Amino acid sequence: MSWLPLSFGAPMVLWGLLALPVIWWLLRLTPPRPQTEVFPPLRILARVLRREETPQQSPWWLTLLRLLMAALIVAALAEPVFNPREKLPAEGAALALVIDNDWASAADWGKRVATAERLIADANSNGVPVLIAFTAEKPNAEIGPFDAAAALNRLRAAKPRPIPTDRPAVYARVASALESLPGTSVAVLADGLAAQGDEAAFNTLLSKNAARVVWAVSDRLSLTGLTGADNQVDGFALTAIRAPGDPAPAQVTAGAFDDKGRRIADATLTFAPGITTATATMAVPFELRNDFAYIALDGERQAGAVRVLDESSKRRRVGLLSQAEADQAQPLLSPLYYIRRALQPFADLVEPSSVDLADAIPQLLDQKPAMIVMADVGTIPEQARERLVDWVDKGGTLVRFAGSRLAAAGNDDDLLPVRLRTGERSLGGALSWTAPQPVTEFPKTGPFADLAPPTEVTVTRQVLAEPTPDIVERTWATLADGTPLVTGMKKDKGTLVLFHVTPEATWSNLPISGSFVEMLRRIVQLSRNQGAAVANAEAAATSLAPYRMIAADGTLVPPTPDARPLVPGAGPLPVTLENPPGLYGSETGVFAHNLLGGDSAFTPLARPEITVPVTTVQYAFDEQRNLKGPLVTATLVLMVLDTLAVFWMGGLLSRRPRRPGAAATAAVLLIALGALIGHADVARADDAKPGDTEAIGDISKTRIAYVLTGEPGVDSISRAGLEGLTRFLIEKTALEPGAPAGVDISKDELSFYPLIYWPIDPAAPMPSEAAIARIDAYMQQGGTVLFDTRDQFANGIGADSTSPATERLRDILGNLNVPPLEPVPSDHVLTKSFYILPEFPGRFAGSPLWVEASLEASNTEHRPVRTGDGVSPIMITANDFAGAWAVDENGDPLLPTVPSDPMQRIYALRAGVNIMMYMLTGNYKSDQVHVPVLLERLGQ
Amino acid sequence: MARIGEAQAPTATRDALARGRLRASLVPDLLVEARRIVNTVIAGWHGRRKRGIGENFWQFRPYVEGDSSRIDWRRSARDDHTYVRDREWEAAHTVWLWADPSPSMLYKSTGASVSKESRALVMALAMAELLSRSGERIAWPGLTDPFTARNGAERIAAQLMHAADLPAKPDLSGIRRFCDIVIVSDFLDPVEDTIAWLDVLARHGVRAHLIEVADPAEESFPYAGRTEFTDPETGDKLTAGRAEMLGEEYRLLYAARRQELAAWCKRLGWSFTVNHTDRLASEALVRIHMAMTAEGAFAGRARA
Repeated sequence: MSWLPLSFGAPMVLWGLLALPVIWWLLRLTPPRPQTEVFPPLRILARVLRREETPQQSPWWLTLLRLLMAALIVAALAEPVFNPREKLPAEGAALALVIDNDWASAADWGKRVATAERLIADANSNGVPVLIAFTAEKPNAEIGPFDAAAALNRLRAAKPRPIPTDRPAVYARVASALESLPGTSVAVLADGLAAQGDEAAFNTLLSKNAARVVWAVSDRLSLTGLTGADNQVDGFALTAIRAPGDPAPAQVTAGAFDDKGRRIADATLTFAPGITTATATMAVPFELRNDFAYIALDGERQAGAVRVLDESSKRRRVGLLSQAEADQAQPLLSPLYYIRRALQPFADLVEPSSVDLADAIPQLLDQKPAMIVMADVGTIPEQARERLVDWVDKGGTLVRFAGSRLAAAGNDDDLLPVRLRTGERSLGGALSWTAPQPVTEFPKTGPFADLAPPTEVTVTRQVLAEPTPDIVERTWATLADGTPLVTGMKKDKGTLVLFHVTPEATWSNLPISGSFVEMLRRIVQLSRNQGAAVANAEAAATSLAPYRMIAADGTLVPPTPDARPLVPGAGPLPVTLENPPGLYGSETGVFAHNLLGGDSAFTPLARPEITVPVTTVQYAFDEQRNLKGPLVTATLVLMVLDTLAVFWMGGLLSRRPRRPGAAATAAVLLIALGALIGHADVARADDAKPGDTEAIGDISKTRIAYVLTGEPGVDSISRAGLEGLTRFLIEKTALEPGAPAGVDISKDELSFYPLIYWPIDPAAPMPSEAAIARIDAYMQQGGTVLFDTRDQFANGIGADSTSPATERLRDILGNLNVPPLEPVPSDHVLTKSFYILPEFPGRFAGSPLWVEASLEASNTEHRPVRTGDGVSPIMITANDFAGAWAVDENGDPLLPTVPSDPMQRIYALRAGVNIMMYMLTGNYKSDQVHVPVLLERLGQ
Repeated sequence: MARIGEAQAPTATRDALARGRLRASLVPDLLVEARRIVNTVIAGWHGRRKRGIGENFWQFRPYVEGDSSRIDWRRSARDDHTYVRDREWEAAHTVWLWADPSPSMLYKSTGASVSKESRALVMALAMAELLSRSGERIAWPGLTDPFTARNGAERIAAQLMHAADLPAKPDLSGIRRFCDIVIVSDFLDPVEDTIAWLDVLARHGVRAHLIEVADPAEESFPYAGRTEFTDPETGDKLTAGRAEMLGEEYRLLYAARRQELAAWCKRLGWSFTVNHTDRLASEALVRIHMAMTAEGAFAGRARA
């Protein structure tokens, strides 16, 4: 079966497929042959049959399903294997695996491990020991021989390393181990990159006892590496190489990352067809380039595609030098002030600690600055001058500003770009005809060519250059009359620049213009750091601690335990396990140690001449799949489908709801659902969150509440009573309450209601402590509870006798914070809040209405001036208000009053109105109580 | 198990004609009650018992102003009134006959004496014989135009014999007003289809007489056990696992179809007759005879 990657463990079972036609015949013939009848009214019959009857035989799709099931079972029994792999030859005394785990193997390490695992599995089935050696490990790593399990563990523990291979050493070790194992199969899992000494290494490896060789190759060497990253004037130049043998053009994207790993720039490198080198420039602003910490090629997960950058490609160090005594009181007149301000954002400024030029210049030069700015420095001591000249010749950039000292010092061919005329020229003074000169356009040849000319800058004094033949090409900026303002020249590798004005704003206003910053920045970009400055002098002499390492997959990681300090010395430093590529040093200064040198190239590894038999394998994942399980699963799924189909055709699914039992079940289900929904409603009553529709309904209208005692008779009378009171209120007053609300004091939110009417019923269950606590809180927060024991005539004779309702009230009040009580005094607000009422009858008359005692309750003499604050949180009566208020739907009273007096009912309703008004208006009417006294005081 | 019903070979028309003659001889001359005026009056042999165009005296009636008839002066001279002589109207009536030739008609069950097709053909030819004897114009839709002949049944039988393939449902739109049509079929198509087919007759004001020929097996559904039913027209097959379970529901549907069709006919003033193949054809013939001659029973409702 070459066209299908499928093989069978037991192909003979497949003959069972021949039984399929028999099964088909059986399936077709299973139902008895029906009596055939001609029947003209078939269409009428069809209407009956459509609902009622199973078809005469299995439909074709069901037959097909069952045949498929049978075929799948047969196929599953034949133990099919998808993508079978060939067994790797591993006979012999042992299997020696030599695996390259260098940086070039990192990208497809998983495939290599899978290939090695297969080899080990074959060795295991052949029962031979396994030697396993990695070419980028420590030279003393154990290589075996191991049994298969141990070898597998070692293989899985191994990782690719960000270093090149060391084939000669490792191969020699394997060869020596093979001396005692004749007839060994040697499996070479190479990374495909040639290295020095390969030929000798392979000769050593295969010279003894290697019976056969398994040579593992990847399809193609598709490595891309970064060999150069150079910070240049206008951008960051990148150089990448790729392995030869790829004729197609290719594009790789390089990204630049800062030290936090953020991508801040990228560039595309294009390999021309057949060319292995590509270059590109990251044209990004200078400041951004200084933040580059490393550059990586996208999509290359290996160490060669990453290049770390150190200080040498970063910010320029600029030394500042001046001879003027810094006057801290006048910083704006300091010659270096504007230079410092201009350079600080994009350069590291270095200033000498000494003002003596003989000390200061060597001190600066030790820092190896890219540029030195000398603000009006005249004569330089000879010794320092020699070093300075030497520094300029080697690439330093010296920027000098004119000033009185320079003008007086005379010419210096080595450190000035032009010859100066002695003295300076003044433009536009009080005694001069000339006007201050503006700056014209920058010469096209100079470095400032693309800068906008500073039209606002005028120059009043300057030093003048001697006109020489080459003055024009040395001029970087000129005044309107053609005299040079800035001159510069290349001197050997270095640059000399002279500003013909002072660095402060005395000779011109150039230093305070934006162009000054631009010009200085341009000069800084032209400069080059002259070597790495090492912060720690002692460490520099000895070694650099590992700081950030490049892992094999190209990420920056903390130093590995194997990493050792790097000793920088002359010549290229080798990349070894002890010195893996990465940054060495510390936060203050790092040294970049990169895997690929600037002259690196990828050479594909050629297979050496091998005399023993060679098997070539490809690196690949094991894609062998045993299909038995999926086939059995598919069969089971088909069986379930078949069962469902049989049920469906039997009408079980469609006929079920028509049966009475099923109807009952459905009813039960519906009821259960309804109960669930009902339960959900109950649950919603607990939910007192804002936004609850019920709560909104409760608070959008004033409603009188009554306590649901749980006794249906009491509750219905309470409801009817409050309904009657509500109607009376609507009829007589401006208050239009909503429908009365029955509240469960243990659950419902109470604060929505101004008044809660609580008929005490001894038969009702005692409210829980929590419920009473809620009532207490309600009363504390300003609500009022009207207790009604409704037992005015049920009390026995005598002061001590109490009715059960009163006992119950006492029990309830025992758990409440009840203020001192008193019967409503005759001048209480309650007696006047709407109607003037001497007493508060309900269905019964005679019981006093108890309210909170006012402060001066005991002092009857001062009673008229009652404290008006606060509404009584509690009222107690025994008159059965609700009974008197209760009305039916037609508004007729429900219960007779005792004694039967129509006026008593009216008084009872008036008492209810007064109570509601008292609840809602508080002590507002209490002023009315004092009206007589007030009028008296006014002298009426 | 022996089959209950089977499809019979088409009946030889000659045989049917003989049987039709026999049936027709049992029925008195069919005087088609012609109460509708046909524009093209064709004289028939039998009086209509109504004034009209004819030769025989029918009645004298008083002349009224504006009467277009000529005054019979001979009668008028006998007294002071003027009279008009009316003659009895003698006119032939056109009756279309059609028997369903579809394959479903070929069915005959063990309980029946003849196949439905045979019964239908016999009845149609018997009607043709009767009507021809009465001098009516008869026609067969899709086969002949109306004609008058003493041997009308023979002519139709001969034409049926030589007709190549008759349409299952002939186009009835050519039948004009005031004609009668006798349709003999089993009406087993869905009622909606049948009504849609016959609706053109109702719209043209044709009076139709529907004779449903039913096999007793179709009506009683005596089948039981696993049975595969075949539709003789479409060839569709249906298998019932237990046919006896279907009987009750089937009978309901069958009767409902018949009732619906009968109700529709009644509403239009048409007659609807059921004839079972285990009974005599004459029964239906007599009913049709009554229906065609009866003045009031259907006519009144049809006009309303």
